[in-house]
Amino acid sequence: MSATIALLGQPNSGKSTVFNALTGLKQHVGNWPGKTVEKKEGSFVRDGKEYAVADLPGSYSLTANSDEEVITCEYIASGKADVVCILADSSQLERSLYMMADYAGIKVPSFLVLNMADVAADQGKKIDTKVLEEKLGIPVISLSATDNKKYDAFFEAMNRAISNKSMINIAGLEAELQKVDAYAKIRALLPEEGVKSYSPTWLGVKAIENDKLVMEQLKSVLSVAEEKQVEEIRCTSKGALDTGNSKFAWIDELLDGALSEQKEKIGVSKLDKIYLSPFWGKPAVVLTILLGLIGSFIPALPLMGVGSAIDMLKAPVGSALASAGVSDVLIALICNVVIQSFSYIFKMLGFVFGVLLVFGLLEEVGVMARISYVFDNTMAKLGLQGKSVMPFLISFGCTMGGAAGTRVIDNYGQKVLTIALAWAVPCGAAWAVIPMLSSLFFGPGAVAVVVAILLTMIVHMWITAKIFGRKLVKKEDRYGMIMELPPYHKPKWGALFRYVLGRTKDTFFRVSKVVLLVCVLFWALSYSFTPGVDPILCKIGKVIEPVTKIFGLNWQLFMAFVASSVGKEGALGVISALFTDGSVYGAFNDAMSGAATAENLNDILLANVSKPQALAFIFAITFNMPCVVALASTYQEIASAKWTAKIALYYTLGALVLAMIAYHIGLLIW
Amino acid sequence: MDDLLRLLKDGHARTIPMLAKELHTSTADVSRKIEYLVNMGLIRKVDFGPKKCGSCGGGCSSENGQKTCKSCMPEGGFQNMGQMWEVVG
Ligand SMILES: Nc1nc2c(ncn2[C@@H]2O[C@H](COP(=O)(O)OP(=O)(O)OP(=O)(O)O)[C@@H](O)[C@H]2O)c(=O)[nH]1
Repeated sequence: MSATIALLGQPNSGKSTVFNALTGLKQHVGNWPGKTVEKKEGSFVRDGKEYAVADLPGSYSLTANSDEEVITCEYIASGKADVVCILADSSQLERSLYMMADYAGIKVPSFLVLNMADVAADQGKKIDTKVLEEKLGIPVISLSATDNKKYDAFFEAMNRAISNKSMINIAGLEAELQKVDAYAKIRALLPEEGVKSYSPTWLGVKAIENDKLVMEQLKSVLSVAEEKQVEEIRCTSKGALDTGNSKFAWIDELLDGALSEQKEKIGVSKLDKIYLSPFWGKPAVVLTILLGLIGSFIPALPLMGVGSAIDMLKAPVGSALASAGVSDVLIALICNVVIQSFSYIFKMLGFVFGVLLVFGLLEEVGVMARISYVFDNTMAKLGLQGKSVMPFLISFGCTMGGAAGTRVIDNYGQKVLTIALAWAVPCGAAWAVIPMLSSLFFGPGAVAVVVAILLTMIVHMWITAKIFGRKLVKKEDRYGMIMELPPYHKPKWGALFRYVLGRTKDTFFRVSKVVLLVCVLFWALSYSFTPGVDPILCKIGKVIEPVTKIFGLNWQLFMAFVASSVGKEGALGVISALFTDGSVYGAFNDAMSGAATAENLNDILLANVSKPQALAFIFAITFNMPCVVALASTYQEIASAKWTAKIALYYTLGALVLAMIAYHIGLLIW
Repeated sequence: MDDLLRLLKDGHARTIPMLAKELHTSTADVSRKIEYLVNMGLIRKVDFGPKKCGSCGGGCSSENGQKTCKSCMPEGGFQNMGQMWEVVG
């Protein structure tokens, strides 16, 4: 074996590509002793001489933070390699030369390979390797590792490095480092000959970075007092920040005159000029969300149509069953509970589908990222971060998804607070019920109701943040974010539809169970099996009505409110069960006896509920807890029964208070 | 880099071009410093990926040991939220 070459580079610098090109089939893959890190060794013959190649594990730096880095350092220090080939990415030299800068000061011959030359050329970057070679004092070449025919320069540089024992000239780096006070002091304490293959410069840098392996090795050359001194000096420095600054400054110095590129123009797209403008950003984002919500009605229409079609089945199915001699109770159950429920479920699914599609689309094209960017500062005022916007927006579709979305938040307090606030965002089920009820009672005024709800939502979140935030989020927890916004791009429709349809299907099964259960239960409690006797629910309702009236809810509406805690979509079903006819008992009997078609829920509601009551009810169910499933997933996510209960209680009471306020405002208007 | 870290701690969101402008440097410089700070453990990248699913009620599947949550998030998680980093507290 005439020489051993070690390949050193950051992940994706092209080490494996070079390794394969050099060794072809002559390679052996195993593990580094005692580690799970892959070890690749091989050999090749060139001009009659055999060379061994070792592919060192890819790592960001040579600081002993990970197994990869420890292995790399130990291998180089062991002296097994005759020459180290340092790889950097030509297309991003500013960052990828970091490995070279971190290696500088190790006394093992090396040469520098600027890989991805083809990519850099495509970007219009010109690199003068001669200039770099002069400054660095080691062979430097450009390479396209994927092009197997172009390795001549590689071998030439390799041989030059081996025969000249070329080491990196670190005068420039040393000069930068000397500007750091702590470094200069530590460097003065270190022996001039260094330790093993490490120069005092390299050891000094790693001492500042508090590298465990290096501190261990220094013990052999420093007295206990000196060691303590090093420790003390290090504590006065900014550690890795200081050395990092020096290394980057040195890299810039090296590249000055060696790299020419077209001046980068920080291009901002037209859309971003609006979204990212300090003045127009917020209005633009709010408008986008509003348009999104409105727009989600369009994809919702087909499913809503299906819902209405199912509703129309009631009469024919009812009379068919009647003529087949099926019992009245069963007919009532099938028509007023089962068919009715599925009608609601489909109408609601329409909206869930619409919201998911529209917000999914906004995410896909990159608008969602802008939304969270614009809201980051607002979130900070609530004690949260921009990334909390995501759970909030998902909550427009389903609170459960919102709760799951808080997984990106590590801080426990912020996570709990985010979920607590996400509950205030009306979910898909609420959006299915609100517009339906609002347009029924208020006609075109429904738009005003929706706007009022959105405004209330904002105030609600604000107050909730103040109440819960005090305990959950400390001021120190509030840090800034860097966001690299993705470029706008065309959506991947396939993936988007798979997600939206999958989610809609899930919601369908989950919701069907809840709705059917709630509807059957309430129907059974409100059905008068013996004519002339008030059903149980009616009795209870009438007893508590004086209290519920305070909140602007008569007992039927109050029952529907209670049911909405289980699932908002169930609320309408309950109303229809309770209001089927002004007088409760006998309602279902009427319903099936041909009068069924007249049993239009709309007419019944208009006849029995006043506008202020309707307003109170809409606010009550909108801001009630989202549903039992959301409750369960909240518990799962925050793993605290105490906080879950607190949040649930807070929302139930809050909803009633809001209902009361809405009712009294309603009384003033009408 | 101290400037960069200081800006990050002030509670405002910024994009990389904005940071570059504020620090009178290039985006390439800001990007490499962010990468450096991540590797030194001073800031952390926010993971919007599909991993670590423990909370959606049903709809979760375990595939090759990694829990994915197809119905809570699109395939592969939210991939178009850009990249976000936060200061390690
Ligand atoms: N265009 C171009 N692509 C390259 C070149 N060299 C490598 N690549 C590609 O870059 C990618 C990464 O290369 P690898 O050789 O796997 O990088 P690595 O350093 O071994 O990465 P790790 O295995 O993660 O340490 C692969 O897809 C290569 O095909 C090059 O010169 N030009």
